[in-house]
Amino acid sequence: MMTHKNNPYLLMAALFAAGAAMPLVLKPYHLNMLTEIILFALYAVSYNLLLGYAGLLSFGHAMFFGMGAFTVAVSLIHIPGLSIWSAIGLAVTMTTAVGFVAGGLLLRHKGSYFALLTLAFNSLFYAVATKWHTITGGDDGLSLTRPNLALGFTSVNLAGIESFYYFTLVIVGAAIVFCWYFTQTAMGQTVLMMRENEERMKFLGYNTNISRLILFTFTGAVAGLAGAFYTLHFQFCSQSAISVDMTTTVLLMTFVGGTGTFWGPMLGALVYIVLQNYLSDITDRWPLFMGLIFVFMVLFIPGGLSQIIQSVRGLFAGKRGTGKPLAAKEASS
Amino acid sequence: MVDIPVFFLHGLAYSGLLFLVSAGLTLVFGMMNVLNFAHAAMYMLGAYFSYSLLQATGQFWLSLMVCPTLLFAVGALIERFLLRRVHLFGHLHELLLTFGLAYIITEVVKWIWGNFPLAVNIGGLLGDTVEIIGITYPVYRIFIFVCAGFVGATMAFILYKTRLGIILRAAVNDSEMVNALGFNVPLVFMGVFAFGAALSGFAGVIAGPLLTTYPGMAHDILIDAFVVIVIGGFGSLGGAVVASLLIGELQAFGVLLFPKLSVALVYLLMAAVLIIKPSGLFGEES
Repeated sequence: MMTHKNNPYLLMAALFAAGAAMPLVLKPYHLNMLTEIILFALYAVSYNLLLGYAGLLSFGHAMFFGMGAFTVAVSLIHIPGLSIWSAIGLAVTMTTAVGFVAGGLLLRHKGSYFALLTLAFNSLFYAVATKWHTITGGDDGLSLTRPNLALGFTSVNLAGIESFYYFTLVIVGAAIVFCWYFTQTAMGQTVLMMRENEERMKFLGYNTNISRLILFTFTGAVAGLAGAFYTLHFQFCSQSAISVDMTTTVLLMTFVGGTGTFWGPMLGALVYIVLQNYLSDITDRWPLFMGLIFVFMVLFIPGGLSQIIQSVRGLFAGKRGTGKPLAAKEASS
Repeated sequence: MVDIPVFFLHGLAYSGLLFLVSAGLTLVFGMMNVLNFAHAAMYMLGAYFSYSLLQATGQFWLSLMVCPTLLFAVGALIERFLLRRVHLFGHLHELLLTFGLAYIITEVVKWIWGNFPLAVNIGGLLGDTVEIIGITYPVYRIFIFVCAGFVGATMAFILYKTRLGIILRAAVNDSEMVNALGFNVPLVFMGVFAFGAALSGFAGVIAGPLLTTYPGMAHDILIDAFVVIVIGGFGSLGGAVVASLLIGELQAFGVLLFPKLSVALVYLLMAAVLIIKPSGLFGEES
């Protein structure tokens, strides 16, 4: 069992090390793609905290992503000399506030009602972003250039692909690790148990409504951070960042990757972006393929790609005593 | 302010269309507890079928009968072979499935008919205008409202005055008992879903000449129909009537009075209802 507990840290360190070595191996085009994958991985991880961990199906996650994206764009354009840290901080603060207020309204409902309401809220944000032309640029969107990264004693030019990649890897990577840490805390475990049996949790004295609101706000803030990096990455932000399509994207990534594990959605983001880049060269109909994959998964493999990987791994590891921990678990519960 | 009656009639026409869409949605939701994301996609499918049929034959009345029938079949197949399969996994999966179907249908429609709007023209009496309370008004918009009234009345009659309606309502309350009494409940649910699909197809045919057929039409109407359901109360037919009228008129007069705010008005109303009465105007407390 000890090895199981140590695994995640080793895995994370290995991933960071591999990530740090990537600029030596990859061409700029692929490095750009990898940056996109990393930021979408964070977005998908935050979405899975809602869908996989809390069992809340939201169709409004793009409102946080878009809010973060727009906050960075608008603040960098309108406040001269604003540092990149402040812009990102502003984005996270904004999305935290929005998450808290919207969560208070939306979380009164569960299941289908919740899904429906989040979609309506997302549409409201989209409508505002489209109509409020003076601030958001409407259909034209907003272009900007990445400011330099101030590190106190020195300043790094982020204009290059490579330097921005490292910046993304460190900050977004740290955020993903923090999300993982969140699932290990008492708070994260509470959410997990609420999904399984909310009545019992209430009976044990937990205020499940507050827990759910905290989780919703947290995922909103994380999605806002991902959105902030989306703007910084493309140096452009348009209303598509806040559209329902952006929610659809994250839902597809998360579900195809697998909602049952923490790392599934990251895999989903990788598969989605890679497919998007290569399939869109071959055919204009690539969203159709994504849709077909999605429906196939819903029907036959509800655990997504991570379920496939786990069962394959189970085939190989099966003989080496998976039976024992399971038996121990059953005995202790 | 001579325009007020005109805007009022515009509002009524859109209310009619909105009711036709949301009635099917709320029926399926109320009966089967499935929030059908694919409903608006089927509405779009109906509109595009109708467009092709009109191109081929020019018979609007024909397409008003054929397209809902086609959609009835589509709905029955979806329920029988896809939805029933994931029913055991719970609502989340049903929702995800209908969402995936909506996505696929939208993409297929773009593939077949192209990613641009197609105008639908109907001639004859419906394409004409008529003199009403001192203004000249298109017959078609009045026709929409009459259709919605007819459909609403028929649905209410079936649900509350016929034997079939009793079976339906009983199946919602206790499907096992109804099954044990010798009624084929899975068939009943298949029928309900297919009927909802047919209704969406009917609405699609109606919508074509009013709003033109375009690839984003499903998304646009879906949000409005959802707002209608939220405001009217989940699964309530009467609520759908009132909320459709409310939203239709609000949109019509919103454009007139607050052109800048008009898109947000509908959502503001929804947020207000949510704060004051979370279950909707006519919804039962859960």
